[in-house]
Amino acid sequence: MSNESLLSRINPFNKESIAPALTVVYGLMILVFSLINPRFFSLGNFKAIMAAVAVSGIVAVGLTPVVLTKNFDMSIGSIFGLSVVVVAKLFNLPGTTIPIPLIILIGLAVGPLIGALNGFLITKVGINSIIVTLGTLAIFRGLTFYWSLKNISIPKEAFLILGRYFVFGFIPLPFIYFLVLLAVGWLLLRYTRAGRNIYLVGANAYAARLAGLPIRKTQFYPYLIAGFLASLGGVVNAAQVGFANSTFGNGYEFRILTILVLGGISLNGGRGSLVGVFVATLIVGSISNGMALIDVPINWRDAFIGIILIVSISVDSLQHQMRARKSFRSPAGKGAPISTKE
Amino acid sequence: MSTKKRAISDTLILLIVLVVLAAVFASASKSFRSYDNLSTMLNNMVIAGIIAIAITPVIVTRGLDISFGASLALSTVVTAMLYGKGVPQWLCLLVGFVMPIGVALFNGLMCEYLNLLPLILTLGTTSILIALGQVLTNGRSILMITDQLFYFATKGVLGVPFPVILLVVVLLVYWYLLSFTKLGRQAYFIGSNPRAAQLSGIRVKPIKVLLYLAMGVVTGMASILMIALSGVGYIYHGDNLTLPVLSAVFLGGMSLEGGEGSIWKTVIGVTIITIIFTGLSLLNVQFYFITISQGLALVVIVAFYEIRKNRQMARSR
Repeated sequence: MSNESLLSRINPFNKESIAPALTVVYGLMILVFSLINPRFFSLGNFKAIMAAVAVSGIVAVGLTPVVLTKNFDMSIGSIFGLSVVVVAKLFNLPGTTIPIPLIILIGLAVGPLIGALNGFLITKVGINSIIVTLGTLAIFRGLTFYWSLKNISIPKEAFLILGRYFVFGFIPLPFIYFLVLLAVGWLLLRYTRAGRNIYLVGANAYAARLAGLPIRKTQFYPYLIAGFLASLGGVVNAAQVGFANSTFGNGYEFRILTILVLGGISLNGGRGSLVGVFVATLIVGSISNGMALIDVPINWRDAFIGIILIVSISVDSLQHQMRARKSFRSPAGKGAPISTKE
Repeated sequence: MSTKKRAISDTLILLIVLVVLAAVFASASKSFRSYDNLSTMLNNMVIAGIIAIAITPVIVTRGLDISFGASLALSTVVTAMLYGKGVPQWLCLLVGFVMPIGVALFNGLMCEYLNLLPLILTLGTTSILIALGQVLTNGRSILMITDQLFYFATKGVLGVPFPVILLVVVLLVYWYLLSFTKLGRQAYFIGSNPRAAQLSGIRVKPIKVLLYLAMGVVTGMASILMIALSGVGYIYHGDNLTLPVLSAVFLGGMSLEGGEGSIWKTVIGVTIITIIFTGLSLLNVQFYFITISQGLALVVIVAFYEIRKNRQMARSR
């Protein structure tokens, strides 16, 4: 990640982008972990990090448009877990063999369906997005428990290869999915009308409505995307580990939210880009990996990620207030949107 | 005037729902009617009840704290661990009581003075607290049974158990504060229009932090009660608390947009939710079904109120 100039050139918000700073942080982190345990800086470990990071990266790309429109989706962890269990169940139906593509398709359909439910309740009925998705989180986590109280194994080699194959012998296939989705998402957000609408609606829904943008539609579709990519993350994860457990994806929403906010996706909507999300995904994934290598118990890692979340949202909020103050002082200057939030 | 009328009929509807639910479960299951069940239900209700009462003014002023479950659970763990290490009982309980207050103060200060979204912040606090509890216990429960706690959990005055007395005291204090004091009126003012409240000289931020703090005090009491009732410190004690409390509060007609809601409606909401979940657990349904119904209850209740509000707004237009 030494090409910072290239990064800032292609970054839509290069003046305020958090990506260069994050890249420096990431470099320092690698240095520290490598000094404590030299095994961290090895090809084998980078392969492990890439494989581990890919799944959370895929889900994070999906959640990005939701947060950009100033909404949230807490149910992605449950969607993720449910998809894994659905796929595993379909592989183990007694007496019948369903073709693998069909199973994958059904697994991938779980997310958009739940996403449509979330989106409907949030944009049509008008309920607070966190409250709704806390509810659907519980509903679908319960359903996941109902379907798999025991581990379900997936014995199909042809399916597992989708998660375990290494391109050129060292890039895990899931990491390629992640990079492709990242590129597609970045292009869509930057160069299509729908993508720009997402930024505008998130930055100032009131102004966007006055400008005649389709507010509800712009807030609804991100939920389908978030659901779809959470499912995809689940399916890829199923292919990686080769079995399903009902606790998969439990608490995933914290991790993904941490990645987004750390990556500069503002909780006040309309601000941030997938470039930051990419670096933040690497950082959070490497922290888990690095802390394991320096023998920190797994529970401390959760606490650490929680602390990163709180620090990131604090920084995000302070930046937001500073921008609001600046644009208040010089309204003729470059218009940083003033939040419509009270 | 019309709003006053509506408020009364709302309460009436909730009361009718309450009676119907009680009748349904009472006829469906014999054990629901028993004295034993009544007292277990009251005890179950006390913990969710005092927290729901304490969160009401916080939500009235547009705040929110959903880390209470984790905060309570971690405090029970620490209390039981200290007791196991031979620390005197009163000191253990004091630490257990103070910890949630510290957490609530942290949440309140962060939300108000850094302008964080309370839901996101308290989700973050939740994850940290749970992780700390897991570090301490590896997910195991820690026994703590003492004569005094047992006495507190099982005995009472004139047949009324101590926990229920605690519930009544908290209820009366909060009712008095919200309905008859300047602080209460200021809270409703802040909730219905924070900017106007600020401009008219109300110290919005300190008041909101104070309400968070008061909620911490109540959570501290709840954590001691939890140890007394269950006899263990356990980091997952709060798991079945968060969604029911939120459901109860929203069932009582609270809105995240602030300025609405009352203690009495919250109490009716808590009673209904307690009846539902106690009834379900008596019917011996599996734990995942309870999880599903907790989520379902929250979504349905909030959707119902939101749809009704939209209709009323459409009509008044």
